[in-house]
Order: sequence, then C-alpha cells, then structure tokens
Amino acid sequence: MTELVHSAYDSHHAPAVPPPRGLARLRAPGYLRAAWTTLLFWAFGFGLVAFFRWLAHYDPVVDWTIVTVVAFLTLAPLGFLTGIGAFDYWAYYVSGRPTRPEDHSSHGATSWKDYFRVNTDHKVIGVQYLVTTFFFFVIGGLMAMIFRAELAKPDLQFVDTQTFNGLISEHAALMIFLFIIPAFAGLANFAVPLMLGAPDMAFPRLNALSFWLLPIAGLMFLAAFLVPGGAFATGWTSYAPLASDQPLGQVFFNMGVQWAGASSIMTALNFLVTIITMRAPGMTFWRMPLLVWANFTTSLLVVIATPFIAGSQFFVMFDRIMHTNFFRVDEGGYALGYQHIFWFYSHPAVYIMMLPGFGIISEVIAVFSRKPIFGYRLMALSLMGILVLGFSVWAHHMFVAGMAPWLRVPMMVTSMIIAVPTGIKIFSWLATMWEGRIHLRTPMLFALGFLSMFVLGGLSGIFLASVPIDIAASDTYFIVAHIHYVLFGGSVFTIFAGVYYWFPKMTGRMYNERLGKLHFWLTFIGFNGTFFPMHWVGLQGMPRRVSDYSEQFGNWNMVVSLFSFLLGASTIIFFYNVIQSWHRGPIAPGNPWRALTLEWQVSSPPPVFNFDEIPQVVAGPYEYGIPGARHAVLNGGHAPVVADAVHEEARR
Amino acid sequence: MRRGSIVRITIYGVIAGTLASLVAVLVPWLPTSASEEMDRIEFTFWFTTVICIGIFAIVAAAIAYSVLKFRAADDDERDGPPIHGHTGLEIVWTAIPAVLVTAISVVSAVVLAKNDDVGANPLRIAVTAQQFAWRFEYPDETTSGSLVLPIDQPVKLTLRSLDVIHSFWVPEFGQKSDAVPGIETTLVITPTRIGSYSLLCTELCGLGHATMRAQVQVVDRADYEAFLERAASGDGAPAGADDGEAVFATAGCGGCHAFEPAGTDAAVGPSLDEIDGDEAFIRESIVDPNAVLAQGYQGGVMPNTYDKSLTDEQLDALVQYLSDGQGGN
Repeated sequence: MTELVHSAYDSHHAPAVPPPRGLARLRAPGYLRAAWTTLLFWAFGFGLVAFFRWLAHYDPVVDWTIVTVVAFLTLAPLGFLTGIGAFDYWAYYVSGRPTRPEDHSSHGATSWKDYFRVNTDHKVIGVQYLVTTFFFFVIGGLMAMIFRAELAKPDLQFVDTQTFNGLISEHAALMIFLFIIPAFAGLANFAVPLMLGAPDMAFPRLNALSFWLLPIAGLMFLAAFLVPGGAFATGWTSYAPLASDQPLGQVFFNMGVQWAGASSIMTALNFLVTIITMRAPGMTFWRMPLLVWANFTTSLLVVIATPFIAGSQFFVMFDRIMHTNFFRVDEGGYALGYQHIFWFYSHPAVYIMMLPGFGIISEVIAVFSRKPIFGYRLMALSLMGILVLGFSVWAHHMFVAGMAPWLRVPMMVTSMIIAVPTGIKIFSWLATMWEGRIHLRTPMLFALGFLSMFVLGGLSGIFLASVPIDIAASDTYFIVAHIHYVLFGGSVFTIFAGVYYWFPKMTGRMYNERLGKLHFWLTFIGFNGTFFPMHWVGLQGMPRRVSDYSEQFGNWNMVVSLFSFLLGASTIIFFYNVIQSWHRGPIAPGNPWRALTLEWQVSSPPPVFNFDEIPQVVAGPYEYGIPGARHAVLNGGHAPVVADAVHEEARR
Repeated sequence: MRRGSIVRITIYGVIAGTLASLVAVLVPWLPTSASEEMDRIEFTFWFTTVICIGIFAIVAAAIAYSVLKFRAADDDERDGPPIHGHTGLEIVWTAIPAVLVTAISVVSAVVLAKNDDVGANPLRIAVTAQQFAWRFEYPDETTSGSLVLPIDQPVKLTLRSLDVIHSFWVPEFGQKSDAVPGIETTLVITPTRIGSYSLLCTELCGLGHATMRAQVQVVDRADYEAFLERAASGDGAPAGADDGEAVFATAGCGGCHAFEPAGTDAAVGPSLDEIDGDEAFIRESIVDPNAVLAQGYQGGVMPNTYDKSLTDEQLDALVQYLSDGQGGN
C-alpha cells in the first residue's frame, strides 16, 4: 500500500512530450481529432444500419429512428470520446503496442484550457463536473421559469401542450441526471481522495472517462428539442406504455439515461475501490470523515440500483425499435412491470441524491459549530441503515398504480421506518450544534437551511408513506412540493453548502461572504414561497403535469410563479459571486475554516499530487475542543498528541 | 442544562408549534369531504399532522435556540466542549420516532382496510378510460360520459384503460386509482354529499391530459333512477345531429380539437371547423387517424381505438355531426 502510493509521486515520470504540429494535430487527442472521429463513427453506424437493412430487404433501407439510435446516440458519442483521447491508453494496451510511459501531461491544470481536455487529476475532474453540472442547472432552471410563466394563469398563454410536457420532462431529467447526482459526484471527486490522504482516485483514467460521458448525456437530452415531434414529453418517469408510442424525442431520453447512468456507475466503482484500498495509514473506517462514509454508501446504492433504470429504458426502446413486448399490453406485455423496475432504481436514487448531502452537512456543521459530530458511529451506521432500507420501499410510489394490494402495507411500514435513521441524523446534527461555538458563515447558513427544509420534506414524506393519505395526494402538486423540499431544500442546499465550503480549496480564493449570505436568504425565501403553497394546492385538487388547470387555483399559482422568479434570480447572485471571486477574490489560506480533515492540511489549491508525503492518520476527523488534537500528521512532524488517548480521557 | 435554558427552549418550541398549528388550521388544506372514505383520510391526515407539528416544533426550537444562544463572534477561535455522544439520548431519539411512525402506520393500515371494504351490496360501475375521455357503464348496461352516483350508496368502480395509464381522482372523494391497460383495478367510494364535482385524470397520459375531465354528480336515489331512465332511452333513439353532439362530448373530442358548433377551442389536434374532405374521409380520420395527417401535426397522437370504443350508430352520428358543422359546404 505504502509503496504503491510512493511510486505515484516520485518515480516513473517520463519527460513531457512536445505538443504536435501540423497534420500530426489531427492524430493527437483533442477536439480536432474528435471532429473527424465523431463523423467517422457516425458514418460507420449509418452504414451498418443501411447495409443490414438492405441485406434483409427491409423498407426503407434508411430508417431514421434506427439510424438515430445507432449512429447519433451510440456511435457518434463513442467517436467523440475516442477523438478527445478518453480511450488512448487502453487502446494502446489492447492493441499490443507499447503503452506510452506516463508523463502526467494529462494530470493537473496549469491554464483554463486544461479543464477542456481529458484530464486524470481528480481535482480537475471535480471542477469539470461542477462547472458542467451548474451549466445544466441553469438550463433546467430556465425551463422551469418558462413553464412557471405558463402556469401563472389558467389556460395556455405561451407554449403549446407538447412544449409544456417537454419542458417539465426535460427540467426533471436535467436536474436529476445532469445536476444533483453528478454535482455530488463532482464534490466527492474533489474532496474524497484528499480526505483519505490519497494522491488521486484509484482509477484516474476511468475517472476521466466517467466525466466525459456526462456532457454527452446532457447534450443528448437537449438535442431532443430539435427532432420532429419535439422533446420527450412523458415526465422524467416516462411510464410505459405511453412512452412506447411517443415521437422520436423519447429515444433521446432512453439513451441519455444510459450515458448518464454509465457515468454514475463507473464513478461509484471508482469511489468504492478508492475508499477501500487507498486510505492513508491509520485511516480506519471508523476514522473516516462522514463525507467519505456518505459517498461509500451512495456508491453502493449506485452500483446496485442504476442498472435497473438502464434496463427499464432499454426495454421501452426495444419495444419501439425491435418490436419486443415488455410493456405492450396488446402483445402480452405487462404495463406495471415498467414501474416496478423503474422505481427499484428511482427510489434508491432519492438516497443517491441525498446521502452525499448528509455527508457535506456533517462536515460543515462540525467545523462551524467547533464540536465533534455527536454520535459519529451511529451517524455512519444510519447511513448504512438507509442504504439497506432504501431497497425495500420502492412500491410506495405505486400505491395507486394497481399493483398487488397486499404489497401496500409492508411497503408503508418500511417507508415509515426509514424516518428512524433519518431522524437519528437530524437529531445528531442538532446535538452537534448544542453548546458549540457557531459561526454563521455561508456554508453553515445553507446547512441550517437544509436542516429546517429537509425536516419539512421528511415530514411530508411521512404523510405520503401513509397509504390512505398517499391515495389522495398521489400525482398532485403535493408530490411536487414534497420532491422539491427533499431535492431542492435537501440536496440543492447541501450542494450550495459544499460549493461554498470547498470553494477556497478548489480555487485558492475566498468567495464574498456578504453576497453568499444574500444568496442564501433570497434562495430560502424564494424556495419556500415557490414550493410551500403547492402542498395545499395539490391536496385541494390540482394534478401535477398539467398545462392547464381549474380557475380556483389561479391565485396561488400566480404567487408560486412570482416566488419562483425570485428563486431563479437568486442564483444570479451565486454565479456573480463565484465567477468574480474565482477571478479576483482574496487569496485563500490553506485552512480558512480551521478544520481538521485532511484536505485542509495542504495548500489551497492542493499540490498536483495532493500530499508531498503520505499523511499518518492518528485520530478521528472531528476532535474539536480537545487541545492540540490532530486528525493526521503531515510533513514528517512528530505526532504531538495521541488524540485518542485525550479523547478517552475526555470520555471519563 | 440550566433551568433558564429549559424554559427558553420550551418557549421557542411553543411558538414554533403554535405557528405551525395556525398554518395547519387557517389554510384550507383539504377539499370539503364528499365521501366516507375521504372522512377517514381526513382523520389520518390530521392525526399525522399533529405528530408532525410536534416534531417540527422540537427541531425548529433546537435550531433557533442554538443559533441565538451558541453563536460565536467572528474572531472567537475557541472550540466547543468535546462531547462525542450520549448513548441514552441516542436510544431515545431512535425509539420515540419509531413509536410515532408505528402509530401512524397502524392508523393508516386500519383506515386503508376500511376504505377498501365495500360491504355486501355495492353498486357496480365500470369505468373505461382512454385518451382523453371517460366512459361509465351502469349495471343495466346504460353508458354515459358523466358519472352520476346515488348518495350514501357504496359504489365499486372497476377501472379499465384502452390505451395508456390514466388515473381516476375526484378530490372531494379522496380515493384514487390508476386505470391500467391489460389489468382491472377497483376503487370504493361511498358518496355522502349531494353536489357536482370534477373527475380529473392524474396520470400524464399524453397531450390532452390536462383536459381529460368528466362531470361527477351525487344525487338522491330518485334523481339517480331518473338519470338512468333518461340515459337508457337516449341510447336507443335514432341517430341524429343531437346524438352526434353527445358523442362528440362523451368521446372527449373537444379535449384536443376546436369545433365551433360544440364550443371547443383546444389546439392539440387540427381544428374540425374546416375539414377538407367528405364523410368517408371524416370516418377514416376518426377510425384510423394516422392514415392521412393534417399539415403540421404528428401521427401517433390521437387514439386509434375509436372503432372499438364507439358503436356503429355513435360513429355514424359523430360523422354526421362533424359533416353538418362544416361552414364552407
């Protein structure tokens, strides 16, 4: 273990190869090569479809639905990945050519251009993830602004029904698959190897590939707007059999999910291997920061659950293009089968979108309360509890779906029980703050905003777990309110907390505190004004996913829309703050928050290989309040205090 | 913990609880119940609300107290006390929520069992959903595009769908169930209040989803019998323009198409006010809508099931009605 880490630092560094010139640039990895390889792969896919259809005497020889799936949505992206060099090392290896000695030319960033290349540095990849995901956050948010404008009054004013349904589906697909899930992956990518005392992720090239699948998935979702018939318009849940007979745009959802899902699965594998094998000496599982624990459990969820949504989308697409009959009722298919497979992923996905946030909040609350996490082991164990229970509750999305009636009560009970580990976490955070010395910096404000909003989302979750109430509330705006309290008040608030918290570490500069606080308060007010009234609007009788609704809900919808514009505007402050501070904010010290975890013990931003010397972990990550306590010893320093002993002392 | 801080945090809790209770009481959260099932759902709702207000009050009080009491000055570099946990407390906040959610589960399960129980002699009505209309078939095989229910009579609805998944919901009745192609689902409703309500489709079912509504009336026994008689006699009458109008309404044509004689102005599908074709073309367009597409419209949107869902007489009447409504001819 130790030797392995050593070799990554200081041996086998081949000299950097000079950049190619002239025609050689067409052969070197980059956008120029990607341009022709994308075209080449596309043409190959097109030829493949045309050739086999011609061979089989099918008419027409060029079927554009199949060409779309094979050439546009499968081979062209592979061509792009080949062109930018995501497969170069493996291609050399597989073809038996000598692999080029690692010169680390694709590691670390010296200029902004390095962020647009295939880069194997987990810190660069983390930033790539975050910038990409926030780009799609803006696009998804603008879509919400359009349909909120439409919904401000009854009847149709701005968009037609197809466009409306397309917008709500795209909004959810982008926010879930291109923002929340990968934004957490980005934060973890940056923070986890540092927190473990590792020089990088276990598989840096795989890590780079995982990232580059993401913009492909995002552009695929967006490209659906350009095809005849418009974007996929069946909601992000895309229930069969409706989704089986939609215009071509539906295929872009089916395939986009595959690319985003593959990205997720590969990253999760990478995290698991990194966390299991690359912990610094002394970093036992019970000394890992809770962010690492959270990403460990999340990664388990991802690798177990994500193949199910991939399968469900393939089945729907196969029904369309291969004439299989998974969900086509007329041909003997089973319509409810889709929902069971879909929710077997999509309920755990809720925890995929929540547990990393729990990790971030644990870091932030401990540091800004200057106290150890209350009940650290139970906090880690409750994550594992949620992981296990998360697989036994999927059918609570199907209480009105017509599934076997006996399933409802058991699924209600398991759904209710999930409130217990979640409650443990909430109460432990409160107890961590108790008697602490609380500093209300922006990350802490977002953490407190998360705590209060997530409690509301959790409580409305209890209403929805109760079968009789769920029967009334299902598929109404109450659901829309609940999901946004959990995923916006929950996940998005934690993403903001994380971005502000690690901003100095990532960029080497401090963000503007006043703008950060202003951003928080506007977001908090806009968020509650937007989503709280939806609870009763829904229960009183407004279904979700409607472009037009009864006159009686006109006033509240106007209120909701106005607050949603405030919420949208509040992010302008965030982006101004981030861009401005990244550019010319004050230089950040290595450890502005006086935190104990490892990422704060190195410079901001950290050195290319994170640590000049392997850190030695000597105690838990949150030993605040113990004089002289350290989590780890760096730079060959003598261990000044064996904090575990002090800790034992303190317990007695 | 000193007594002073206990008093203060209790005050915060009471304030938070009172505010939450005011929101719970002053806002009309639920529609006025019109069925026995909704009464029970309301009970479950308020039972859960009381527990949730308690939890919310505790959390809100703890956050408010901590932020106000333990806030440190910016330049204060001291740490808090190194408290790592307290086994007793951790057991308490594992056990109490477990007990509370168990209580909610038990109440919910009992209510669910009661709401599913239709009793000995229910009125059975078959509901057929299709894009984008509802059809109801009464025990005497009368069919109608609106649902009329006698008061205080337990009703068992059998739901079917001819195409994609739809969902049956009348907010005042509380009960909801999807209508799923290929399987039959059921729903129990016991109406308790005379009045007129709206049936909404709550499962996204295509472009006409938002307008897939039907009228529901709860009437007394005599009015119900009268309705059945009227509906039955209307069914057997010779096909005429009036029937065409009725078919247009019950088949849900107006959910997607504008047609001036019927007073509809939806724009999901092409307008029917100026059809460029004869009666045979109109008939073909209803039965096989993808055969000839109007310019600017996609295929595969309009259901192709009307030859199954409409009787020959109804189809004739509808074609006649649309044909008569053409201004140009």
